[in-house]
Formats: sequence, structure tokens, C-alpha cells
Amino acid sequence: MAKRKTEKTEDYPALGRWLMFLERPKAVEYIVYGLYAVCALLILLDFFYTKIVYFDTERYWGFYGLYGFFMCAALVICSKMMRVFLKRGEDYYAPTDTQGEDHPDHDLMKENVHD
Amino acid sequence: MIDGLILPFLVYFVGAALVAVIPFARGRAALSILVPVIGFYLIWNLPTGQHGQIGFMGFELTLLRVDKLSMIFGIIFSLAAFLSVIYAWHIRDRVQQIAALLYAGSAIGAVFVGDLISLFFFWEGTAIASVFLIWARRTEGAFYTGMRYLVVQVASGVILIAGVALYYRASGTIAFDKMVLPMLWPGHWDTGALGLWLIFLSFGIKCAFPLLHNWLQDAYPAATVTGTVMLSAFTTKLAVYALARGFPGTEILIPIGAIMTLFPIFYAVIENDLRRVLAYSLNNQLGFMVVGIGVGTELALNGTAAHAFVHILYKALLFMSVGAVLFRTGTAKGSELGGLYRTMPLTMIFCVVGAASISAFPLFSGFVAKSLILSGAAKEGYWVVWLILVFASAGVFHHSGIKIPYFAFFAHDSGLRPKEAPTHMLIAMGLTAALCIGIGVFPSLLYELLPYKVKYVPYTTTHVITQLQLLFFSALAFTILMRTQIYPPELRSVNLDSDWFYRRAFKAVVHYAAVIVQAVFWGVTGFINRAAIRLVDELHNSHGPDGPRAASWPAGAMVLSIAALLGLTLIVIFFS
Repeated sequence: MAKRKTEKTEDYPALGRWLMFLERPKAVEYIVYGLYAVCALLILLDFFYTKIVYFDTERYWGFYGLYGFFMCAALVICSKMMRVFLKRGEDYYAPTDTQGEDHPDHDLMKENVHD
Repeated sequence: MIDGLILPFLVYFVGAALVAVIPFARGRAALSILVPVIGFYLIWNLPTGQHGQIGFMGFELTLLRVDKLSMIFGIIFSLAAFLSVIYAWHIRDRVQQIAALLYAGSAIGAVFVGDLISLFFFWEGTAIASVFLIWARRTEGAFYTGMRYLVVQVASGVILIAGVALYYRASGTIAFDKMVLPMLWPGHWDTGALGLWLIFLSFGIKCAFPLLHNWLQDAYPAATVTGTVMLSAFTTKLAVYALARGFPGTEILIPIGAIMTLFPIFYAVIENDLRRVLAYSLNNQLGFMVVGIGVGTELALNGTAAHAFVHILYKALLFMSVGAVLFRTGTAKGSELGGLYRTMPLTMIFCVVGAASISAFPLFSGFVAKSLILSGAAKEGYWVVWLILVFASAGVFHHSGIKIPYFAFFAHDSGLRPKEAPTHMLIAMGLTAALCIGIGVFPSLLYELLPYKVKYVPYTTTHVITQLQLLFFSALAFTILMRTQIYPPELRSVNLDSDWFYRRAFKAVVHYAAVIVQAVFWGVTGFINRAAIRLVDELHNSHGPDGPRAASWPAGAMVLSIAALLGLTLIVIFFS
């Protein structure tokens, strides 16, 4: 945190400086609590309207929320397990692949705010 | 000019020829922007019907078939070309500027043709023009990647023309209209059926069907910053158009599309290169369109056209924003990026708009288009497919909607403090973002362009709430997995995909086969050589100048041998 406090932000765009409220302590916590609250609200809303749907499955209370949550968790865990079998070093296909090489400078315009 | 109409693709080709001779880079860039504008004007004013018939080697080719389906693709291709060349305003490289116009022109030419032979020419045109956008990176890796891409794309064209030849022989027509794919039961097929399957396969290669898909993830991240934006728009959507035109309602497309939506999302979660993550998610989005074509009802085909339209925009927007990050920092790898929102806030916001659109948040373009396909599938009672599509929608949000903006602009601070993207890139991204939001807020603008009349209302209570539930709970899953550190970290790596088979396994097979053939060859020829040398040596020993046969024999030996011969003769005569 000490490093952040000394960061020179004068050169940053105004919008970026404003967005740096995200770095305040607890800012992320508040966002996460906000997300919990929105999720709770959305799933409770299911009590208050009649679903017009195609399948009976959709009629279950909170189907979309729970399906999204558990399938996404399963997606990430499956992917993580796939990594065990599929992950190789960046130079695996080198030199016939671009993954292991740097993007050439003639196609770039690297500039930093402090330059 | 045919039938008093200027063919839209000609504007692009003439533009490309002019770009080739204009000496000033700015002039070339300005002309490149002007070309899609003129092209758009021409396309917008095309009269419905078939025009531009020309004779070619005994065939009548139709260069201009204008109906609502070709129209919507012509419009979106023009828009994509326009936005891409604004994004590429800084490019000084003549090769890329020419390739961009030829590529867009070929794609636009292809969607308006009315016969399969003209389709073939434009089909190969997109392949050949686009590879220069990869080679323009000018590295060894890009050269090889471009070669692989070109082999696959040209193969697709060759398969297409082979199929067209067989189809023509059986049916006597080259019209590019709805074709019915026959089942290939044993004893039940003929060359015409084979021809149709070859045409289908050729469309499938370009559309990145499962196991035919890997050219896409291989090539797109290898192109230049601006080249990838171009590539993302045309080739695959041309294939979607071709399938929608040629094979609507072909049931096998439903499982193919469902698998396409499914498996790339697993790869996208563990992929490090953010441009390759987007290539995987592009593949997944194509799956939705393919399902729509397979279902084949008016609702579903509308969904496919609408989704192709909005998809080109938000996918270009995402590639533009990640490209801008690459442009400023020199990398698009999740493991190297993070915390860029401080100095690239506008790029971040445009990226989030693209992410919200692809995730189908209400008020963004994906919401009003993808739901047409989902409803189309659900209405016909495809329950399992529908479940897969809903899962894939959540998965898209997970890897494209959250992962891309999160790892590029937030996550841990990489310490990089790049400048905001240059103005022309911001303009291109801003325009694209405005279109994404505009279509989301006013879906009727898009619905009016669709091939069939739309009675669909996207903003219903059920639809909005269920979609928000799906998305927010997916975000919840991401958050919880991130905070419990279960989420796989971004690592510098390559993940094996089906390209391993031709890049490694097949290469190894060829290598070992070569070793064996070489060993047998050297063994056999070596043996023959050694045997021949031994024979020559022995003959030399016996008959050579120093050999016993060459020595001069004494006259007594001759007398003795004649005496022995005479004696032998006497014995023979005596006993006979």
C-alpha cells in the first residue's frame, strides 16, 4: 500500500483518477456485498411474477440463478482439471507459433503516461 | 457496372487498386474509410431480385442476388469494414491496407452471389486476402501460422468446388439456394449426395465446426493488432451466411451447434492470451448461430441473422479493446496484464460494453438477438439443446464478460501505466459501443432488417429477470471462486487442442515414417552396394591384372592339358 500512496497520478486521465476509489480499503468488499444483495433480490423476485416459459424446468423457483451458479462453478473446476492434461510450456510449438514470441514493435505504439 | 448497377464488391476492389498506388499513408487510410461508405450506400439502394448475370464457360453466373438475408449480411459487413478501417487509421503498411479492402470486398461479394461457382471465387478470395493480415506481423511464428491458416482455408475452397462439380453433375444446377442434405446410408448414396456433403463440409471448415475449428484459435491471435479485428468479422460469418442460405433446417446442425457452444468455453477459461480467449468465445457464439440454422424456423433463422449482426459488432469491439491494450503494452496475455483501468479508463469502459453485449445483458445488443435463437430452439421442444445453450450463455459471461475486462483492466496491479488508446481507436470503439447499446435499447431497428417478419418481444418481465438471475449468479460463482482462490490463475502456457493432431502427432507420424523409410532404403541400397563391391573385388582378384587368370601360363601346361583331354576322349570312345 505504501507504494500506491506515493504513486504520481497527475498524468492519469481524470476518469482513471476517479475510478481509483476502487483502491480504497474495503471498496472491493462493498462491491462484493452489493453483488450478494443483487443476487438475493433477483432470486426473491421469483415469488412476485408469473413466469411465461416454454419448459416446466424453467418454472422452478430460482432455476436460472442456481443453474447459472452451479454450472459456472462446474465449468471452472472442469477447466482447471483439463489443465492437468492440456497445459504445456509457451514454447511448446516454437518456432512455428506466435505464443512464445513477443509482438513485434513495428505493429505497436507503446507509450506510458509518465513518458 | 451490370444492369445499370454498380456491384458493391467492385468498389472495394477498385479501392484496393487505388490504395496500391497512392503514395501517402494518410491518403490510403482516408480512401480505405471512404470505400465502405460508398459500398454501404450502394448496398442500401440495391433493388431486390437477381441482377448481374454474366456468362462464364457455359454457365450463367449471378453476381447480385438481393433479398433480406443477403442484405443484412451486406450491411453488417460494410459496417464492420468501416469500423475496422477507422480503427486501423494509424497503419502505414500498404500490404495490410490492400488486404483489408480485398478481404472485405470478397466477403461482401460472396454474400450477394446467386450461384455456387461465383461463391467459390469469393470464398477463395477471402482466404487469400486475409492471410496477409497474419503475415503482416512479419515474424517467423506468424509466417508458419499463416501457412497453416492458408492451407485450411484454401482446402475449404477446393472441397467446395469439388462438391459443386459433383452436385452439378447430379442435379444440373449451380444455383446457390436451399439444398437438402441427404443421409449417407450405405447403398443409399450417389455422387450428388457426396457433392452436397462436400459443400456442407467446406462450409463447416470455414464455420469452425468441432474438430475443424482450430485454425481459428490458431490464426486470429497471430494477426496484427488491426488484422485480428478484420478477421473476426468476415470469414466465419460468411460461412454462417452460406449455411443459412444453403442448409436451413438441416437437423444435424443442431447437435453440431450445441457442441460448438459448449467445448470452447472450457478452453477459454484456462487460456492466457486474451485474444485467443476471444477466438474461443467467437467459436462459441458461432455455435448459437449454427443451432439457429439447424432449427430452421422463421424465428430461429431470424435469430441467426440477428445474432450474426450483433455478434460482429461486439466481437469487433472486444478485439478492438484488447487490441488497444496490446498496442500500448506489447502484450495481450492475462498473466502479464492487470490494473490498466487507471490509465486506460475509456478502453476499459468500451471493453465492458462489449462484454455486456456478448453476455446478453438487458439493454445491450446480445440480449435482443440471442434470445431469438434460444426461444426458437425452446419452441420446437429441443430441451437438452436449450439447456446447453443456457449453460453456454452463462459460460460466455464467465469467460468473455468477466474474464477479459477483469484480467486486463483490474485483477492484480501489473504496474503497467500505458497511455490511453489513440484517438482513432477510441472513435472506432466508441461508435461500435454506441451501436451495441443502440441495438439493445431499440431492438426494432435490428428487427426490421431481419429476413422474416418479427413478432418477438425481447423485454418481458420473465425474460429480463431470468436473464439477470443467470448472469448475476454466474458473476457470483466467479467472485466466490476468485476469493477462495479456486479459480485457475492466468499462466504463461499453451493448451493442447485439436491442432495438436496435425501440428505434433501427424508431424511425428510423418517423421517416424520417414525414419523407417530412410532406414529401409539405406539398408537395401547399402546391401546391394556392398554385394556389388564384393563381386567386383573378387572378379578383380581372380581376373584382374594381378589375378591368377591373368598370369601367363607355361607351354608345358598346355601340352599336359591336351594330353589329358585326349586320354579322356579315348576313355569315352572305348566305353561307348
